[in-house]
Amino acid sequence: MGIMDGLGEGFSVALDPTNILYVFLGVLIGTVIGVLPGLGPTATIALLLPITYELEPTSSVILLAGIYYGSMYGGTITSVLLRLPGEAASVVTVFDGHQMAMQGRAGPALGIAAVGSFIGGTLSVVGLILLAPPLADLAVQFGDPEYVALTAFGILLVTYLGTKHPVKALCMAALGLLLATIGRDLVTGTSRFTFDQVELFDGLDFVAVAMGLFGVGEILYNLEKTEKAEQIKSKVKNIWPSRRDFRDSSGAIARGSVLGFFLGVLPGGGGVISSLASYGMEKRRAKDPSRFGKGAIEGVAGPETANNASSTSAFVPLLTLGIPPNVVLALIYGALLIQGITPGPQLIDNNPEIFWGVIASMFIGNLMLLALNIPLVGFFVQLLRVRAGILAAFALLITMAGVFSVNNDVFDMWVVLVFGIIGWLMKKTGFEPGPLVLAFVLGAILEESFRRSMLLSGGEFSIFFTRPMSGTLFAVMALVVLYSSVMGIRRRRQRSQLPGVAEEELRATGLEAEPEGTAGVAATSGRTDGRADDDGVPGTGGGSTRAGGDRP
Amino acid sequence: MGRTMRTAPALLLVAVGALAGCGNDGGGGGGGDNGGANYPSDDIRLLVPYAAGGPTDLTTRTVGSCLEDELGETVVVENLPGGSGALATSELVQAEPDGYTLSLVTAGTMVLTPLANEVGYTYEDITPIGVMADVPSVLAVGKDSPYASAEDLVEAAEAAPGTVNVGVPGASTPQGIELQRLADDHDVEVTVVPFDGNAEMTAALLGGNIDAVLINASQDVTANIDSGDFVPLVASSEERLEWLPDVPTFTELGFEGLTLSGSTFGLAGPAGLPDDVVSTLEDTLRSCLEQDEVREGIGEDYVPDEFADAGELADILERTHEVYEPILG
Repeated sequence: MGIMDGLGEGFSVALDPTNILYVFLGVLIGTVIGVLPGLGPTATIALLLPITYELEPTSSVILLAGIYYGSMYGGTITSVLLRLPGEAASVVTVFDGHQMAMQGRAGPALGIAAVGSFIGGTLSVVGLILLAPPLADLAVQFGDPEYVALTAFGILLVTYLGTKHPVKALCMAALGLLLATIGRDLVTGTSRFTFDQVELFDGLDFVAVAMGLFGVGEILYNLEKTEKAEQIKSKVKNIWPSRRDFRDSSGAIARGSVLGFFLGVLPGGGGVISSLASYGMEKRRAKDPSRFGKGAIEGVAGPETANNASSTSAFVPLLTLGIPPNVVLALIYGALLIQGITPGPQLIDNNPEIFWGVIASMFIGNLMLLALNIPLVGFFVQLLRVRAGILAAFALLITMAGVFSVNNDVFDMWVVLVFGIIGWLMKKTGFEPGPLVLAFVLGAILEESFRRSMLLSGGEFSIFFTRPMSGTLFAVMALVVLYSSVMGIRRRRQRSQLPGVAEEELRATGLEAEPEGTAGVAATSGRTDGRADDDGVPGTGGGSTRAGGDRP
Repeated sequence: MGRTMRTAPALLLVAVGALAGCGNDGGGGGGGDNGGANYPSDDIRLLVPYAAGGPTDLTTRTVGSCLEDELGETVVVENLPGGSGALATSELVQAEPDGYTLSLVTAGTMVLTPLANEVGYTYEDITPIGVMADVPSVLAVGKDSPYASAEDLVEAAEAAPGTVNVGVPGASTPQGIELQRLADDHDVEVTVVPFDGNAEMTAALLGGNIDAVLINASQDVTANIDSGDFVPLVASSEERLEWLPDVPTFTELGFEGLTLSGSTFGLAGPAGLPDDVVSTLEDTLRSCLEQDEVREGIGEDYVPDEFADAGELADILERTHEVYEPILG
């Protein structure tokens, strides 16, 4: 199917009144939860997952995707106005966005963020259209060794890129891999770790685990925190940025779109890293870097564009390889599995209505967000008055009813509660659930592919290195490990002399937004920015180009 | 979403309440005293041991809605996936034998699962009613395969045992066991490569990563056969399939006894179902399977031409058990 035919079909699906409604609901919910600190896109999508069971597959992905990129817009509002990032990908927006607001320029800050997000999102959809079908065609040829390489690479990058403590993240990834082994062994049919519990024969249900760790865990954690009720002082006026603002930020928007697109495709990437990388890049490129942190409009435009672009491009690996690059996409993967659709190279051919429908809905959704955000900023800010307790009770009820409805199994409700408590303890102790959940999803694919590779090769490990694709990927992996170790040692040496500026800023604000799941906010930004100061976003930017280059 | 969020739990509560109520009524009023004289006089639960959306679900829902029309009582189809069918089957064998709890059964859920795991029931703990559908398996290769016929493939496997890779939908599946029997009983040794379901196997075969698949010929597979992407070499049925008249069976090729890799979807109740209830259900199922609407719903090719009744379903399960017990037991 050509691009034009595809888009034609896509728009006919997305313009169906029901689907327009779901796009609208998605971006609206996304904006709302983006505004509310504590309820990020991961938790929300985890909570709503079972409800999508009742929808058409296309509608459910349209809805969930809308929540994801919608939340990227919403998070900006509170970052700028209240110095309180609604979700993790908007943390860097605080530096310059809030400064702009203090200077009475909150309007242009929000305006440029909305425009940048729109451009970034739209360009990213175009990239998705151009890149996904050829990638899927190529991926049909992928065998098990390639999947071993891709999933191992994904787990590596998730633990390396998206976390504050790589060691803790590795522990969590290991735990996720271990949990993935529960249930029947695919090759021999033996039961593993089931303790003769019939409920465990098929392993733990991904939906229940994710809902527990992200949904219930977050709810419990947020209940502990005292509510930060702040008065909203100034009224926002003059949203539309001036001509000069546009001129100043056009470069940042263009760079942010490209950067965001590639970091979104990368496993372990996503909104948080993209926004941080873009901020670092703008600061490095600026003629006068000292303006940053004092209300530079590029510092708002770049990151906001990048996080939106990445939330769209993250769909590329899911829809072409069947491999979710970050936790939000892992949840959307789960939503498709519930519907009996296994995302993979054949998705575009077998379910063109999903692929093209979702793409078309993204065009519409981005347009809606632009229309929603600019006039309704004042309304969204009022949402912060909803009491956390009410929200939590409501969310918990939906969670429990929802998870039961997927398999009609009471056991899954216990799984949610147990993992909810585990998730809460993990948050308290600084372990992130992101690597665990992603390793849990990818671990199943990794193990099955590995076992099959061994069957096919008769036990020869050379199968992984003699095939061009998997060989290249393993080589890249070795480079990443080597590179990060070297950089780690260098950074440790320099740390005493060079504390990262952003690190101080963050500490001063005492910000703690809810991570997107892939990344811990506060310290990641410290780390990435610290690196940016060293020699310009090497870890993230460099990684992306390399991986991007390998993906044809 | 606001609306959905508010109504979803409420609907669930109502649904749960209704089910609970139905269970009580079914146990007290419908069962026991009255026997099957005025059966059915209440809602019937029809369990599916697999998730919604697959061929088992489709078959059960099609038959369920026909039973509902014919019997004049509501039939509630309930998906209880999990435990390789053990969750739903446990629910079935523990239910009152009054005809108000029925389930889809397969050789997988009734024979394989209890042999491979400690699940607390055997294939004898149910009352068979009849066969709803029969989905055969086919041994198929990709369109660019060097094996033009089953003989080619068998020859290659005999010449170099273990070099031909054949995908199956899982280790403890009828297909996996069938290939093991091919090696044990007929000395044709292929490497069995288990996948998780049809979609993965299809991708692997189309991508040229395995040589052949032994796969349930459900509608996704027949579509690939029709388009020429899959070339069927052998059918698992006892006789040639009507819709694949040129494809030989394992028996024709000299592999006596390899007829168990297809899937039979049976209808059954708990052990001790009264005879008159069984015959009511058997007759209704028979007349349902004669209706064009039902045959089209399930897939014309999958509905047996001649109705296989309670006795035949019992035979199938027993035969499968006899063959599998020495392998798995």
